[in-house]
Amino acid sequence: MKNKSWLFRVGIVVMAAVLVEIISIIQYERVQKIMRQEMNDRSQIILTALADDIVHNLEITETTMNENVLELRRSLAHPDSVYSAIKHVIDDNPHVIGGCMAFVPGYYPSKGRLYEPYVSKENGGFVMRQLAENGHDYTQNETFRRAATVKAPVWSDPYVFGPDSLKFATYSYPLMDRKGRLAAVCGLDLDLSWLGDTLNARHHYPSSFRLLLTQSGKLVAGPSSKRISPEVVHTVMEILSGKVPASAHPEYALMKGAMDRAPYWQVVQVHRTDEVFERMHRMRRQQMLFILLALAILAFMINRYAHNDKKLREASQEQARLGGELAVASRIQHEMLPKTFPPFVYGSLEPAREVGGDIFDFFNRDGKLFFCIGDVSGKGVPSAILMSVVHSIFRMTAGNENSPSRILHVMNQELCRSNDSNMFITFFVGCLDLYSGELIFSNAGHDKPFVMCGTVTQLDTKANLPLGVFPDTNFIEQNCTLAPGTTLVLYTDGLTEAKNIERRQFGLAGVQQLLEENMTSGVVTPVDLVSSMSEAAHSFAGSAPQSDDLTMLVIRYAPENLVRESITLENDIADISKLSAFVKGFCGSIPIERSAAANIRLALEEAVVNVMKYAFQDGDKGTVTVLADSNRQELRFTVIDCGIPFNPTSVMEVDTTLDVESRPIGGLGIHLVRRLTDSLHYQRMAGRNILTMTKKI
Amino acid sequence: MITKVEEQDGRFAVTLEGEMDTAAAVEAESILKPLYNSDGKDVVIECKNLEYIASSGLRILLGILKGAKAAGSSVVLRNVNDDIKNVFKLTGFIDIFKFE
Repeated sequence: MKNKSWLFRVGIVVMAAVLVEIISIIQYERVQKIMRQEMNDRSQIILTALADDIVHNLEITETTMNENVLELRRSLAHPDSVYSAIKHVIDDNPHVIGGCMAFVPGYYPSKGRLYEPYVSKENGGFVMRQLAENGHDYTQNETFRRAATVKAPVWSDPYVFGPDSLKFATYSYPLMDRKGRLAAVCGLDLDLSWLGDTLNARHHYPSSFRLLLTQSGKLVAGPSSKRISPEVVHTVMEILSGKVPASAHPEYALMKGAMDRAPYWQVVQVHRTDEVFERMHRMRRQQMLFILLALAILAFMINRYAHNDKKLREASQEQARLGGELAVASRIQHEMLPKTFPPFVYGSLEPAREVGGDIFDFFNRDGKLFFCIGDVSGKGVPSAILMSVVHSIFRMTAGNENSPSRILHVMNQELCRSNDSNMFITFFVGCLDLYSGELIFSNAGHDKPFVMCGTVTQLDTKANLPLGVFPDTNFIEQNCTLAPGTTLVLYTDGLTEAKNIERRQFGLAGVQQLLEENMTSGVVTPVDLVSSMSEAAHSFAGSAPQSDDLTMLVIRYAPENLVRESITLENDIADISKLSAFVKGFCGSIPIERSAAANIRLALEEAVVNVMKYAFQDGDKGTVTVLADSNRQELRFTVIDCGIPFNPTSVMEVDTTLDVESRPIGGLGIHLVRRLTDSLHYQRMAGRNILTMTKKI
Repeated sequence: MITKVEEQDGRFAVTLEGEMDTAAAVEAESILKPLYNSDGKDVVIECKNLEYIASSGLRILLGILKGAKAAGSSVVLRNVNDDIKNVFKLTGFIDIFKFE
């Protein structure tokens, strides 16, 4: 997997590199083409201009000739005037440095067979010579012959002549006499030495140069050997002549411009391609550098992205896992809360997050409703964990303990022992006797519950320290008796401190007003009150997020069909018959079916006999009081005596499977009590043994 | 309650009538105590009119049964009503007594 993603990343970078390189090459080729075209166009302009320049020079020379033809023709009559005529002509044109008349052989018999007067400009003056005297046979001259043959003016190819290696081209004009016969060929030598310099006067590139060639490809003029080595010129000439293919020398770019008239000389522009494209090459190198840099950045970014992506994926997986676990935790926490509610109790817990630090719980034992509400400091997972601990400690403690303050005490001891994180819990524990309305409660720093009974007031609880603060906290227990129809409203600060967007709190007054409105409009059932409060808190908060866990527990004390009777007996077995009569009478008033009543009578008799036998020392006088309560669904009997501490529930179970010989005589009574009742609890309180039995009807 | 003991045909015929609560059991025990040692004679206990029995009554019956067993004789309970039989069930006595 890792290897694969690495390959993938490298692949992306390589692909990007190839793509960029292809684009760059295409662009490079295109730019090169454009530049080459541009170079050609520019060179063509220059070459044309140069050709025009040369043509212009040639034309001037031709004009000079044409203007003087008559005079030259006139001079034919006097052979010796030819010199002055020639002199006159060449003096007219600064570029013409010499002129001659090459007479057809034997034209002047006096002058010999060949006669060629020649005038040249030398050192600011004119020098006259008869060239034939030096044995110059002009009749062999190509130009002479051509001019004589075609009887039309022709230009010679340029040539080098004289001691100064001057470069000339000669304009040869066939001169006719009066009879229309060819008399001589008049030649004007045009100085071409300027050409090489003019041709190569200015160049775009240091190695560029231009050449002037004849129509047949002979080199006429080129750059000075100081600037361009003769070998280079030689190589270019070989290319031009076709001896070497141009492809063998890609370093040279050649362009030709030809004259549009005779003598059709050619001007050749030579560039070195590396010079022309030097700037482009430099640009390309820079571009490559930029591309490499961009690719490196790309690779880095891909790597970073892949790395981040991996981390992000891991983080999101982790978050999903945590989310899943939180959902499970939330479900577990919810399942720990009471789910079924009798009509007189209702509670709800809405955590601000997935899990909360609030708790409520209740259970009915011996006709007494034990209930609690609490708030662990903080919220979220840490407080939820502690809340679970608090919940189980409460269940364990309250299962055997009747006194709320004792419950708080035991819970506090346990929570202080293992509270290194200094979290604390506000906790309220109450025990409501569903028959008598007696409420015993102890408050460990929790919000005071509301009491709805005609008016809405707060229960006057003494605020003890919360749980988990000091192990030696003394929790004060209080009690009061609720009138039938009283409703207790317990809540956590998630209700009173519900905040709206303006950060204002719902407040105690808000809750109190809400409860008063509910009471006025006759909303008294626990379930209705809870949903009304929850709705009010949410609509108050509006779009503001829930700031804290919202927990409510409402208990309504509304006993119906309560029957309560009591009897007090001496601790004398003989008084048992009074108990029998009492039980019969009580069961008859409910009424209870005969055989069920017999079972109840038996259980109660066995319990009372046990107390009479074991709670009193021999001869000690005392009383045993039996309280009988019923709400038409359940019977509850409370046996209270002031004897020595004696817990009948601690007596070992008898083994009812033993055979006759092994069966012990005793232990049957308490066994019967256990079997005939639904619950049996013993409590020692205020110097009295209190045994409570319940039996569902 | 009424407790009667008669010797007929070499066995003890006991009749229990009424409600045998703890107080009544004290009185009944004084009458039935001789049967704790029945000398090998069988015991038949007529419970037709017995309406109620507490654990102290059961203890007396167990005492009679233990004595009879030791001497090799039997104890039979007759006409026990359902409520009382239920008490025998709850205590496991239903398995050690004979019922007719």
